[in-house]
Amino acid sequence: MSLLELDRVDLGHGTQVVLPGLSLTFESGERVALLGQSGAGKSTLLAEIRRRLDSAAAWCPQGHGLVPLLAVYHNVYMGRLERHGALTNLINLLKPRREAWKEIEHLVRELGLEGLLRRPVAQLSGGQRQRVAIARALYQQRNVFLGDEPLASVDPHQARRLLECIQARHATCIIALHQHRLALDHFDRVIGLRDGQVVLDAPTRELTLARLDALYPDAGPPHHEAGVAAST
Amino acid sequence: MTPAPGLLRGRSPGLTLARRSLALILLCLLLLPLADLRIIAVDPWGELWRMAVGFAWPDFMSLESPLRAIALTVSVALWGTFIGAILGFPLALLFHRSRLVRSFCAFVRAIHELFWALLFLQVFGLSAVTALAALAIPYAGIFAKVYAEILELTPRAPGDALPSGVDRLSRFLYAELPLVWERLASYTRYRFECAMRASVLLGFVGLPTLGFYLESAFREGRFGEAGALLWIFYALVATLHWWGHRRLLVPLLVGALFFLGPWPDVDGELLWRFVSHDLWPSPLLEGNLPGLGAWLAGLPELLPAIGNTLLLALMGTVGSLLLALALWPLASRHFGRPWQGFGGRMLLVVMRSTPELMLAFILLLMLGPSMLPAWLALALHNGALIAFLVARHADGLTLGMPNLPASGRYAYELLPRLYPNLLALVCYRAEVIMRETALLGMLGVATQGFYIDSAFQYLMFDQAFFLLLVTAALNIAIDAISRRFRPREVPLDDPCSR
Repeated sequence: MSLLELDRVDLGHGTQVVLPGLSLTFESGERVALLGQSGAGKSTLLAEIRRRLDSAAAWCPQGHGLVPLLAVYHNVYMGRLERHGALTNLINLLKPRREAWKEIEHLVRELGLEGLLRRPVAQLSGGQRQRVAIARALYQQRNVFLGDEPLASVDPHQARRLLECIQARHATCIIALHQHRLALDHFDRVIGLRDGQVVLDAPTRELTLARLDALYPDAGPPHHEAGVAAST
Repeated sequence: MTPAPGLLRGRSPGLTLARRSLALILLCLLLLPLADLRIIAVDPWGELWRMAVGFAWPDFMSLESPLRAIALTVSVALWGTFIGAILGFPLALLFHRSRLVRSFCAFVRAIHELFWALLFLQVFGLSAVTALAALAIPYAGIFAKVYAEILELTPRAPGDALPSGVDRLSRFLYAELPLVWERLASYTRYRFECAMRASVLLGFVGLPTLGFYLESAFREGRFGEAGALLWIFYALVATLHWWGHRRLLVPLLVGALFFLGPWPDVDGELLWRFVSHDLWPSPLLEGNLPGLGAWLAGLPELLPAIGNTLLLALMGTVGSLLLALALWPLASRHFGRPWQGFGGRMLLVVMRSTPELMLAFILLLMLGPSMLPAWLALALHNGALIAFLVARHADGLTLGMPNLPASGRYAYELLPRLYPNLLALVCYRAEVIMRETALLGMLGVATQGFYIDSAFQYLMFDQAFFLLLVTAALNIAIDAISRRFRPREVPLDDPCSR
């Protein structure tokens, strides 16, 4: 079943076109990895997919989009802000709702954030914030998971665990990432972008690490190492 | 080979700012002969000596009920700021959407707290309502503008991350307000400090705050008592971060209620008569247009007063600029030994904490009622305030070549990085200086305040109100000019930007 079809569309922000004449189809139940250097157009593509799927997709943005002053609990709660009235949300700021608290506590324990529910996000480490952002997306309970580099600031071991956590709850996911080994092991399909063009679109079983590394012509060894490290 | 460029030639941003500043200073020097800078007093140095003695040996025993005055001063400042913030916040949400709200805020801001006090005094007498309204009304306008500017800079990312369909209030409470809360709170704190100064000044119109006792002590030459009151005020300001802690805010607000007073009996009919009748020229109310001409002719000579106000404001601004340039190294870690830096900081804190009207009043007693004491007071207070902020900015910078001699560090390392910010601060202060200049007339300097004060004294409310409107219009014009003049693209995170 087709989830989404892009047929020769120009994507960009304002008048600036980043991805010209793009044609792509995404299937339901498909796990897609988006690869490519920074600036290749991954974020633009994800933003368009998010716009089209709207409330069918959970969204984990690049740079987390968290509110530093609020506690972990409230940041995660924001994932379902639209499902409650303004008054309920207001009271929840002063006194957390019991059932929401329970559910979120359960969720963050799975992500290794136990005991941090009351702590302001400003006091967390980069990796912890990353997991709060993922928790918020999981809390949305949507069919599709969209992530713009949701594994950027965690170590390779954790990245694998978090990805498994995400995929256990979402049959369909479209995730931008840089870890090549993870892309090969945990996804059905890889889309490679370079300078606004789709230069690679293939099932992972036909791909090798070396072919993925070719997407990063400027970088060379460090990325390869990152890919190897991710596999250990 | 290209020849070296001539004096001040070139297009670098630094040179542009230097040319602009020099033009401003030159303009001030050209107009200086028009200002009345005589020293009228007979024995200024003797007077200064007696004041210094009073300050060095303060006479705390002579104070009558200082605790009451202190409590009232703090209570008025606290509640004035609080009510101002409560009124200002909703206005801030409408600020960028409604021209009407913007103009209203510009108008209430443009009139100094003391002028508002003079106005309310006529209706509410020497009461808590007069004191609170005098602070809360202009502060509502200031808060509206500054809060709106802060809210505008809210980072967008958390709001973009929200799922679609979130209602406006929830979006604001979760993804906007918490992101700017710190900045809103820190500005409100700064404004409370200003309110402390303004609350003291309310004593000058007769409300029994610290300023009331200070004024009479100075006027009657009881300098020991005046020194004691000044020390109390500095101690209050210096310890603000202890007793003004946010955890103590609620108990303070509740406690302050007991010290506010007296509460006036408001006669509704009288109030209505004042607003609908007394404030307006009678020919205007009667629809008698030729009579209005006669009424206008009956006004005191306005042009010299306006000229004096503008000139004094220009002199005050240029004086602040020069003083800030000279003083900031005193409080910076990049110059001198640590104990010198500490001394310099203390000096600047004392100078900026002293309300400029108080400073002008003291200098006036010393030098006599010309423009000289007013100029000195404006330049000293604002120059010290800007120097303090610039020094703090400088302390955050790391030097590329720390081994340069002091002059090299000043001119090559630090000033080029600090100057755009410094000039922007001076431009922001120009509006404040203008407001204060008009006010200094209350002390006898020939600016508009002099005529406003005397119109109120002779109960000619229509004239007083008209003069207030003229003052506000002038102030709004100066604000527009200084906004044009100030360097753009300067990250201004200083509390005194308003």
